[in-house]
Order: sequence, then C-alpha cells, then structure tokens
Amino acid sequence: MTDGNFLIQAHQLTRIYPMGRTDVIGINRLDLEIAPGELVVIKGNSGSGKSTLLSLLAGLDRPTGGGLTVAGVDLAAATESLLTRYRRSVIGMVFQNFNLLPTLTVMENACLPALLAGTAYEQVAGKAVDLLRWLGLEHRKDHLPSQLSGGELQRTAIARALINQPQIILADEPTGNLDSRNGKAVVELLAGLNRDRQRTVIIATHSNLADPHATCMIHLKDGEIAGRA
Amino acid sequence: MRPIALFFRLFVWFSWRHFMKHRVRALIVVAGIALGASVFTSVRLSVHASLNSFTKSIDLITGRSDAVLSLPGGRVPEDLLPAVLQQPEVSHASALMTTYVKAAGDEMEPFLLIGFDPLSDRPFRDWEAQRGTAGSDSPWLGLMADPFTVLLSEPLARRHGWQAGDNLTLAHDRDHAIFRVLGILKPEGLGLAEGGRVALTDVATFQEFSGLHGVVDRIDLKLTAAVSPVSLEELGRQWADLLPEGLQITSPSEAGESGRSMIRAYQLNLSILSFASLFVGMFLVYSLVALNAASRRHELAVMRATGASPGLVFALFLTEGVLLGAGGWLAAIPLSGLLVSYMLRGVSQTISTLFVRVHVDTVFLQPWEVLLSFGVTLLISLLAAVQPAREAMLVEAGEALTTARLQRSRKDSAGKMAGVSLALIGAAVPLSRLPAVAGIPLAGYVAILSLFVGFAMLAPWGLQRFGATVSPMLNRLAGVPATLAGRYVRDSGTRTAISVGALITAVSLFTALVIMVHSFRETVQLWVHQTVSGDLFVAGKLSAVNHFRDPAPERLRKGLLRLTASVEPVRSRRFGLKTGNFDYELDLLDLGSFLRHGRFVWVDGNPKALQSRLIDGEGVLISEVFANRTGLEVGDRYVAQVEHFAVELPVLGIVRDYRTRGGVVFYDRAAFTMRYADPSWSTVRLFFRQRPEDFDAALTALRREIIDRCGSHLEMVAGEELRAAILRIFDETFTVTFVLLLIALSIAALGITTTLAVQVLERLPQFNTMIAVGAAVEQVRSMVFWEALLLITAGEIAGLMCGFLLSYLLIYVVNVQSFGWSFIYSVNWKALAASLPLIVGTALLAALPAIRLIFRQPPAILLRDR
Ligand SMILES: Nc1ncnc2c1ncn2[C@@H]1O[C@H](COP(=O)(O)OP(=O)(O)OP(=O)(O)O)[C@@H](O)[C@H]1O
Ligand SMILES: [Mg+2]
Repeated sequence: MTDGNFLIQAHQLTRIYPMGRTDVIGINRLDLEIAPGELVVIKGNSGSGKSTLLSLLAGLDRPTGGGLTVAGVDLAAATESLLTRYRRSVIGMVFQNFNLLPTLTVMENACLPALLAGTAYEQVAGKAVDLLRWLGLEHRKDHLPSQLSGGELQRTAIARALINQPQIILADEPTGNLDSRNGKAVVELLAGLNRDRQRTVIIATHSNLADPHATCMIHLKDGEIAGRA
Repeated sequence: MRPIALFFRLFVWFSWRHFMKHRVRALIVVAGIALGASVFTSVRLSVHASLNSFTKSIDLITGRSDAVLSLPGGRVPEDLLPAVLQQPEVSHASALMTTYVKAAGDEMEPFLLIGFDPLSDRPFRDWEAQRGTAGSDSPWLGLMADPFTVLLSEPLARRHGWQAGDNLTLAHDRDHAIFRVLGILKPEGLGLAEGGRVALTDVATFQEFSGLHGVVDRIDLKLTAAVSPVSLEELGRQWADLLPEGLQITSPSEAGESGRSMIRAYQLNLSILSFASLFVGMFLVYSLVALNAASRRHELAVMRATGASPGLVFALFLTEGVLLGAGGWLAAIPLSGLLVSYMLRGVSQTISTLFVRVHVDTVFLQPWEVLLSFGVTLLISLLAAVQPAREAMLVEAGEALTTARLQRSRKDSAGKMAGVSLALIGAAVPLSRLPAVAGIPLAGYVAILSLFVGFAMLAPWGLQRFGATVSPMLNRLAGVPATLAGRYVRDSGTRTAISVGALITAVSLFTALVIMVHSFRETVQLWVHQTVSGDLFVAGKLSAVNHFRDPAPERLRKGLLRLTASVEPVRSRRFGLKTGNFDYELDLLDLGSFLRHGRFVWVDGNPKALQSRLIDGEGVLISEVFANRTGLEVGDRYVAQVEHFAVELPVLGIVRDYRTRGGVVFYDRAAFTMRYADPSWSTVRLFFRQRPEDFDAALTALRREIIDRCGSHLEMVAGEELRAAILRIFDETFTVTFVLLLIALSIAALGITTTLAVQVLERLPQFNTMIAVGAAVEQVRSMVFWEALLLITAGEIAGLMCGFLLSYLLIYVVNVQSFGWSFIYSVNWKALAASLPLIVGTALLAALPAIRLIFRQPPAILLRDR
C-alpha cells in the first residue's frame, strides 16, 4: 500500500457518539482509499453514516478511533490550526440547505473563504466574478441570499466552495432542496469540476442524479461499507 | 372556561416547555426583573417608612387640637392661657414647650423634651406610664407635684439603661439640671413620638430648666364648634384685642406639611431613579421574548398552519412576558427584604440631613406599595412583550412550507423610527419648560422618559450608520472578522438595536448622575467655602439641634464682647418662620463683617453694587429655594411677621444656600435692631482678622480664651471641621443614589449577556458554516468579540449623549421643581473618562458567556441541521 497513490486513506475509521449509557454508531471501523480525481457517490439509508463520514473528511469532526489521512494531513492527530488551514486549502463544501450567510451578498459569500484565509478583497474579487460568471450568477452578484432561488443559492454555495481552489469538494445531499432540473444542473456542475478541472468530488446523496458520473459508488450500512463499485 | 383552559394547555405545551428547555436564559431575565422590582419596592417602602414616622410623630405631638396659637419666630406669653380659656369658642387649652436635650456626659443623640401641663393636656394627647414604674397610680400627678421629674419613653430608657428612680443630668442650650426618672411610658401615644425618643416633664419644670419664664412655645386649643381655616381667620379678628401683636391662630393640619412635601418629592425622585432599574429590566424581557418569537418562526408557521389564530399567538407571547414579570416580582420579595434594611438607613439619614429629622427603625409592609410594585413590574413586562408578540402574530402559515431558513428581507423601518425618536428627543425641550404640577416636576419626568425611549428607538438607525461608517475602517485596521462584525452591526436590525437600549439607558443614567452629583457637590463646596466661611463657630449647647431659635446664654454673649481684638465676630440670629406651608429661616447676621471675610454665591443680583445697600439694611437677600417656593424675585417685597414685628423689605438679590430645607432670608442684624428691636444673637462665627502664622496654635488659644471667658456650656467647632463635616454628610447622602445606579448598571450587564448570548445561539449554524468554509475558531470568536465591542461602543456613545441631555433636565428642571435648588453646571470629566472605559470593560466581560457559547458543540452539527 503506497500512501502516495491515494488522496484519502481511512483505516479502521470510527466515530461513535456517546449518548448517555448507550453509544450511537456513526461510522464503524471503516477502511477506505480514494485516489485523486475520482467522483465518489456515497449512498445508504438515512442514518447509515454518510454525513458523519463527510464531516470527518471535512475536518469538522474528529474520529473517535482509527486513522484518517487526507492530502497528507493526519486528521486524527491534527492541531486545531492545522485543521483550519486544511479546511481552507484542501476542502470545499456544499450543503443541502446551502448555508449562505444572510447578511452577505452573493459576491461576498463567494469571497468569504479567501478573505478568511487572509487574501485581500481586491485580489479575490476578480476570481470570484469569473466563477460567478461561469456559474451564470454574474447579474446576481450584489443580491442578498434572501432574494435568490434555490438553484441560484446552491450555485453560490458552489462558487464559495471553489474560491480557494480546493483539491476536494464534499457535497452532502446537494440536490435535496432542489427541483429535478436545478438538481441536475448542480450535479452536472460538480461532475464538470471533476472532469475538466480534475477535482476530487465526493457526493453523499439519496438521489440517482449523480450515478452516471460516478467513478466509484460506496454503499454504507450502519456505519460500515456494505458494497463498493 | 374552555377557551381559557385550552389557552393554558397550549401555553404549557408551547411556551412553558420551551422556557424549561432554556432555563438559564429565562432565569437571567427573571433575575434582572427581580433586581429591578426589589430596588423599586425597597426604596419606596423605605421612604414611606420615613414619611410615616415623620407624619406620625408630628401628629402625636400635635394631638387632637383644633387650632394652635403661636408667635412666628418667638414664644407665646403664658398668661394668655386663662384668658383664652374664658372665650366661649374654646373648650380646652393646653400649653406646650419642646426642646432637644442631651444627657450630660453622653455623646448619644439628643432627644426631645416635652414640657406640658399633664392635667389640662389630657384632652389633647394620649400617653400612659407602664404599671409599677411610676410609683403612684397617677404619674401625671407626680410630674406636677415633684419638680424636676421626667417620664421617659420606653426605647429611650432601654437605650440608656435608665430606670424609674434614677437621677440623670440633662443639658440644653443654657444650662443643665438633674432630673429624677418618675416612670417609663408605654409604647403608645406620645411615647412613640420622635421614633420613641422623648421625655415628658411638667411645663413649670421646663420653664425653670430652660430659663424661659412666663412664655410657652404654643397653646393648643380645642374649640366648641368644628372650625375651618376660614373661621380661624375670623376668630383671629375677633380676638384682636385679646391677642398681642403678631400672634397667629393656625390650623394644626399645617404642621409638618412642608417637611412632608419635601419627603414626598424625595420619594418621587428615588422612585423614578429606581424605576430606571425596572426600565432597564424591560429590555431583558424584550430580548428574550423577541428571541423566542424569532427563533421559533418555523414552529409558529406550523402552529398557524394547524389552525392557531393570530390572536392566540399574540396572547401566547404576551403571556410569556407576564410570566417573566410575575416570576421576577416573586423573586424580588426575598431580595427586597435584604435590600430594605440597607435602604432604610441610607434613606432616613438622607432625609434627616437634607429635609427634616426622622427616626425610623422598622418598615411596615404597605399593601398598597406591594400592589404598586406588582402592578408596575407586570405592566413593564407586558409592555416589553407587545412588540415581539406582534411580530410573532404576523408570521404566515405559508412559511411552514419553506425549508430554507432564510430571513425574509425586512422592510427598512429604521429610518421611520429615527424620525419618531428625534421627535421624542426634541419633545424634551418644550416639556422641560412646563411648570411643576402641585410641586411635582411631572413634565420633567415625562421629558426624561421621552429621552430614554427616543434614544432607544434611535438605536437601529444609529447602528446602521455606525456600522456602515466603521466597517470599511475596520477592514484596514482589524481584518475580516472585524469587518464582518461591522457588517452584522449594520444589518442586524431592530431587535439587536433595541437591546442596546438597555445599555444606553444605564449609561445615560450613569453619566447624568455623575454630572448632577458633581455639580451639586462643586456648588455646595463653593457655598461652604464662601458662605459657611469662618474660623471658629460658637453657639450655646444644643443650639444647633434646636435650629438656633433662642438667643445664646448671657454668659456667652457677655464673654464674647471682651474677646481678643485679633478676631472679628459675625453674630447671627435665626428665626424659624413659615410662609404658607413652607418653613424657612430668617438669618439676621452682621453683614458688614461677614462680607469682609465671606461671600454669598449669587444667582441673581449684582454683588458689587449691592454690598453697601445690604450692609445699610435696605433690603434682604433670599435663597434660591425661598425664591422658587414663594415666586419672589429681585425687586419684589418680602413680607413676614417676626415675633411682634411686621417686617416688609425689598428683595435685593438671590443667592444659593444648601442648608437643611434650604429656604433662607438674609438681613443685616444691626439694621434689624435699628428698625425693629435687638434680636440678640444665637450663634457667632469668628474670623481671624489676619491669618495667624501658626493657625492651629492660634485656634487652640482662641478656644481656650473663649472657655475662660464664657464657661464650657457651649459648642465650638472649627470652620474647617464644620465644612468638612458638611461635605462628608453630603457625600453620604448620595450613597443610596449610587447603589441604585450600580444596580441599574448590573441589570444592563445582564442585558448585554442575554442579548449577545441570544444572538450567538441564533447564529450558530452561520458560525459553523464559517468554520466549514475555512474560518479558524479564533476568527469566529474575534468576530463575535468585535460585534460586542461595536454594540457596546455604540451604546455607550448614545448613552453619553443622552446622559448629557438628561443631566440638564435633572439640574435645571427636576431639582428646581422638586427641591427648589439648582447647581452650577459642571462636568466631572475625570470621573467620566475613568469610568466609561470601565463600563466598556465590564460590558465586554458580560459578553464573555456569549463568546464561550459558540463552540460548545462541534461544527459537524451543521450536517444534521435541516
Ligand atoms: N451529533 C450526533 N449525536 C448523536 N448521534 C449522531 C450525531 N450525528 C449523527 N448521529 C448518529 O449517527 C448515525 C449516522 O448519522 P448520519 O447523519 O451520518 O446519517 P446519514 O447517512 O447522513 O443520514 P441521512 O441520510 O438521514 O442524512 C445516526 O444514527 C445518527 O443518529
Ligand atoms: Mg445526512
């Protein structure tokens, strides 16, 4: 097993939520390897551990057992500040309910991660405009989230996820709050990123929209991998 | 019945359980209200107790008389008594004398010695001696039969350990004498007067003791028919031949009226001040109910979708407010119990030094006061809940169908509110010009309220402008988190802004009180150093407690004539007089000598031009309080009956004076002697003609010389000491004020804690998103910190502005209308500069719990949030 070949490596990865006397299993002794440039679709029933896995990959949560190395960062052992840098530079996230900041405009939402990383607004603005143009949002750039449709919101979230040019894009049920046409458009965007820009994309979803683009399908059941194709 | 039961069931399901789930927040709000309510209640109860004790004491001494015969500034000849008794209108008459005395060799408080005729006084006043203490069956017989016997009130006897049969030496301004204790009074009737610090003696003994032969303080009358004040005047005219010049017949109901109205004014002012605490607490209720309304929008939409009427939703949220108020009030009960004992001491001391002597030991729970505090607390909480309840009511059922939790874009009402608030702030100007209503600065209070509300309503617009102005600067100065914070402050809308209102109110109160107390103190200091000037003050013993009403003992007067030439005496005689219901002093003093060493603090009139006219006795100076109470101005004529003389003189000027009660008229003593009669003098202050090189040694020598020449039955106090004592008493007087202020500030701090915590809790998903897109935890924390800092700074700036306006109202409207005095406006920049950063610091400390709330749960919660 040569580390260098894989972007993501999980070994006996475990996340258990202690809930009083009983423990709830989120992810259980999971072994997983993902090479750069893949488009992984994670499936599984509700409660099977998809979101748990994504949050571990995103560095939003820490494993309670096992090891997880992403892009050379040992997430189980990383310090808080390393995790922050990791989230900034390695990961871009897309959520089911968009999670845009309501008081920031589309443009500002898109720029936010770069600004947080210390880039000056002037430097990042051009790139953000390019992204928004690419996503068909240029005319909406000074609008507030409350004035946008679901599809536009999710595209804004994608712009935000891309602004720091992350290697990996994580999407948790990105089409869950969208109609089928908008959902399809979003999936195609993500697939395009994977195809044209060589991003590694991981999508957790119930829908079949992303299946045709997948290079790898993972089925989770009770926090374990029930099948991989 | 059914709908009510349903309502309560829904309330328990929907609101109560939510409260229970977020107990800490609810408890903080309840604590804030409790603090406010307890301050309000305990202050009112304390002042009420003072007022009660004062009124009771006056009433007990006044007794059941229908009319009182007295001589303004002097005493009534005793032989009038049999003459009056012969009049057909009179059924009973009784002579009365009072003076404050002290037990010799005892530094305890002076107490009131009442001299009367125990027999003829029976119809007027009730008192009884305790069984077995008075020797014989009828102690009043004993009082009359044995000269120099006294009956002591029970608390007095207990305090000193005196018992029946003991001998004690009592001193008054002229002399001292040995009295035998005949018995102890039961704690009822006269035995309760002066807070139970009285002694009774026979009037003849009293005269013998005080050297006041042939005169009494007053004669109380019981009339055969019910008599109204109008017919009292008539009676005076009918008895014109009988009564010597100047004698007056007045109604006993006037007794103590001026003291009572002063205490009432003080009570009102303290009530308003303590009400501020409740007002600040109101913002707490507002914050919590508004949070519940906003954070539960989705639930509300679902409720509406399942059939709840807007009215029901409105009622639910209003009830939340009422519940918080009721909870706070209940919690206030034990708290008030603790506070009241402290307040009682402070309040009664203040009243005693500023207005009238009161003795208070206990508070009675006034049902009316308890009801008032309940009503006020509930009303405040209800009002605070109205606006959030309205917002909740307007949630549409359709919102239940939207999954994305985005705030609807709000219509911009900040501008409109700013217009209203400017109108409110502006309204303070005309309001402050309106006169008092029945001695109450009603319009002034309304002006204060409109200032508070105006500034609280200005907050949304102010924050918008403030945020817009600072956020570009912050970007350069402090990076992204600060910019975002500025942005949040700009956009956060009405709710955040109104919560800043608590801070604005507290800071403005603080600023205004600091300025007012400082101005008051500076002015008093100026007055003390100019008008209470003098190197040594000398008077007969106990002369001061008895308001210098009697001339100094002869030995003192004669002795002082032969004093060393290096000192210049300024002699003074004071008469306690009355105009309408207002008590004041006529102070006759050696103006020529006084003006060589001291000065008046002028309000109106030209000091230079008037100096010689004053010394020549061409007119009087009146104090500001006297002017405001009587409406007299420079050029008007001052008219008074002083003993047997009808005095009428022009008013030459108005000066500041801050002695107890504050109403004074100054006139030259020599001029009075020439025009009317020698009033003699009761107190003298001595000035060294030239400041001796060794001042202390010279003063000691002077003291010794006075004792050598005049004996030791006198009181002497060095000018420095007297002035220091006045200022010390002054400072003590304001401790109650500052305790109240401190409590208001604490409630404001609680307000900051809840407001910020609420804002943080509401935005947790946003913070987690920020983390997910690459923010460091420190960045989010620093953002929230900057938010707090910006909100606090904005609140402080607005509070400062409001405070300056408020200080004008307090000094030039409320004080003038309540107490008749104003001060020279002076800002204590040092204290303000030192304390305002302290307030910012404290406020930031109060913000800490909110900042700590941020990452109690891992940000991964975001992926479960839908
Ligand atoms: N913070 C938490 N505390 C306790 N249990 C949790 C927590 N997060 C997840 N779980 C539990 O872990 C298991 C996996 O949850 P997860 O959210 O990862 O499922 P999922 O596959 O994303 O489901 P869905 O398709 O409904 O989004 C579930 O049983 C869930 O109840
Ligand atoms: Mg999930």
